[in-house]
Amino acid sequence: MTSLGGLGRPSLIAAGVLMLLAVGLSLWGALRHRPGPTEAGRRALTAAAAFVALATVALVSALFAHDFSLDYVASYSSRSLSRGYTLAALWGGMEGSLLFWTLLLCAFAALALRTTRTQPTALRAWTAVVLGGIASFFLLLLLAPANPFRMLTDVPADGTGLNPLLQSPGMMIHPPLLYTGLVGFSIPFAFGMAALATKDLEETWLKQTRRWTLFAWSALSIGIVLGGAWAYTELGWGGYWAWDAVENASFMPWLTSTAYLHSVVIQEKRKMFKVWNLSLILMTYVLAVFGTFLTRSGILSSIHTFTEGPIGKWFLPFLALMLIGGLGLIGARLDALKSRNRFDSLLSRESAFLANNVLFLAAAFAVLWGTIYPILAEAISGVRLAVGPPFFNAVFIPIGLALIALTGLGPLIAWRRMNPRSFARMIRLPLVMGTVAAVVSAAFGVRSAGALTAFALCAFTATAVIAEFVRGSRVHRSRENLGWLPALGHTIVRNRRRYGGYIVHLGVVLIVLGFTGSAFKIERSAHLAEGETMAVGDYTLRYEELVRGETDEKFIFQANIAASDGDEVTLLEPQRNLHKVQQQFQSEVAISTSPIEDLYVVVTAVDPDGAASIRAFVNPLTWWIWAGAAVMAMGMTVLLSEPATRTAPAPSPAAVRRPAVVTR
Amino acid sequence: MRRVLVVACCLALWPTVAAAAPEDVANRISNEIMSPYCPGVTLHDCPSRQADELREQIEGWAAQGWDDDRIMAELEDQFGEGIRATPPSEGGGILWWILPGIVAVLGAFFAGALARRWSRARAEEIEEERLEARREQAALSAEQRQRLSAELADHEARMMGVQPKGRA
Repeated sequence: MTSLGGLGRPSLIAAGVLMLLAVGLSLWGALRHRPGPTEAGRRALTAAAAFVALATVALVSALFAHDFSLDYVASYSSRSLSRGYTLAALWGGMEGSLLFWTLLLCAFAALALRTTRTQPTALRAWTAVVLGGIASFFLLLLLAPANPFRMLTDVPADGTGLNPLLQSPGMMIHPPLLYTGLVGFSIPFAFGMAALATKDLEETWLKQTRRWTLFAWSALSIGIVLGGAWAYTELGWGGYWAWDAVENASFMPWLTSTAYLHSVVIQEKRKMFKVWNLSLILMTYVLAVFGTFLTRSGILSSIHTFTEGPIGKWFLPFLALMLIGGLGLIGARLDALKSRNRFDSLLSRESAFLANNVLFLAAAFAVLWGTIYPILAEAISGVRLAVGPPFFNAVFIPIGLALIALTGLGPLIAWRRMNPRSFARMIRLPLVMGTVAAVVSAAFGVRSAGALTAFALCAFTATAVIAEFVRGSRVHRSRENLGWLPALGHTIVRNRRRYGGYIVHLGVVLIVLGFTGSAFKIERSAHLAEGETMAVGDYTLRYEELVRGETDEKFIFQANIAASDGDEVTLLEPQRNLHKVQQQFQSEVAISTSPIEDLYVVVTAVDPDGAASIRAFVNPLTWWIWAGAAVMAMGMTVLLSEPATRTAPAPSPAAVRRPAVVTR
Repeated sequence: MRRVLVVACCLALWPTVAAAAPEDVANRISNEIMSPYCPGVTLHDCPSRQADELREQIEGWAAQGWDDDRIMAELEDQFGEGIRATPPSEGGGILWWILPGIVAVLGAFFAGALARRWSRARAEEIEEERLEARREQAALSAEQRQRLSAELADHEARMMGVQPKGRA
């Protein structure tokens, strides 16, 4: 394959010039309310996106052609790297990942502006100004401190190769999904800021960006879970979430965007929370960029931060500009954003959503607080300190459990006002099921108060949500004479937004169930010679033999381990491999998985005589995390399949003349 | 029946006391300290050989009967206070622990107060709307009342995603 690396930098320069032109033209169109310059600006932005795509193709071609005259190619790929991981090298290093980020941003911006051509000129023009401004910043980074096309004077015969930790199938999908999610929030953010600039503060911008928000949130959610799956299968410490700074960097915008997804429903239905929603989307996008800053500045230590780079100082003014500009605009429009509507009752779905938002924000603050603790602590005390899982678990788990309780309470409460007697009737079954779950868990030997609470809340919430499906299906059964299954299908398809959301909630319950299993984790380590055994939980592991092998990339040391739980014998084949180019050892985990528990075995060292250090874990219920993520993905698919033309009914209180008491 | 349930609950919740194995103590403590050998990672999650050795050393201390406090003190002596994976739980360090809770409580208080104020203001409007609705209903003929009920039923059916009765 021929390297097109030489085209990369000229393409980026052309993209930068066109992007500035797009911002200028759009600003002209916005200030003068002129459709001509606005459309020209959109086209300039689309052309800039095409040049960024060309630069990306140039880098990918250089990677596949092993063009080691480019510093990036020499640093993150090698001749022995497989084709899949050669592509993954595009986002394996800081410069390439920023190029990929910029490509997504420009592509999303071009698409969003193209699909909203019927919208008011000023709204589109200001949106293009914001998106073009953000893209210009990233192009500036690519042209100055983070140039992926930097040339080497001494061209090496081979490259350093991709970090062995990143050579995992999960890394082919996880970073692109995370970036899609984080970058995707730039669209609702830009439309929100444009709405503030144009003073068109009704629900237009929300409706225009609803799908984008859902799409970005879905991609980020799945990306985060895949990150957990990658950590579980690659890092070899038996867990999936370590409250690492980079994990937190993607989790914080997830928390605020989830709050946003819930609170926009209030604005759509009741025309309330306008200031709040704009603040939330501003917070989400600022946190998304803040995460990029954390990951790339080297300010925090993490397993997967890029090495200390020169770009940290570039991000701070950009973040400050977004935050101050956004807050300034919201402040300037406070009067126009005030809502005349009020809550009908404290016992209403609106109140539950408000509580949900408070909890999500508190959770985001707790994570942010722990993440920036090392920076603040060092600034105050001069001592380099860090916080890890014990701190995050202590502050986050109570908030998380309260959120699960609210997930169950929400569907039980009617919009606007609920009769307390009806509420008592509705909550009875979930409460009974929650209590039964706690008692049964305790009878099976669960003694942890946290785990008992979590099991009880999972049962409570699952019952409340499933009851909603039963109620909806019952209505369809009686009205359309259908069987239960077709009635369930009709229930979901006819109101995808509501029931898609409930499916996502069911997935979340399953994920929490999986997390709870970590309270019962068992871990054992041993140094075994061939033929020796060790015990972990109810399993006996017999180290049968060490099998040696070799590929182009690595020397393989595979420990064949027979795991027996008394009934069945399972052969596990964990590896400890030496990667030739990096001269780095990397463990490949072996997992025997089931809905009840995972048996997880990792070889941490191999001696020349064949003896091996083995860590073995029994991880109960972990399977449910991945099952829950699959259920969430189904719910997201239902939500995203909602026809675009459909808008949520939003009866204003003034228009509704009938008595406002709603019973269920 | 209730008594039986209470007794069952008590039995189920009766704690089982068992001394933790040294390896479990080492696993727990290694989750509570940062690794001196892997930046930003707990000792438990650190894959280096030295981390293995330190975990074994902690297990040895636990086997000798050292309690958690003594092990942590020894680790702090060897590696400094930065080895703890949590902020200090005394002095100014408490602030790090309680601030997220304070934010949550203040947020809940503020949101609760806001919701209460909104719902009170709305209660008066609702009363007025109710009276007006009653006046309007009283002014309706029997036929109009029947039509209103039917349309309300249709509206609710649509909200449930069901095709209203009598429509194609």
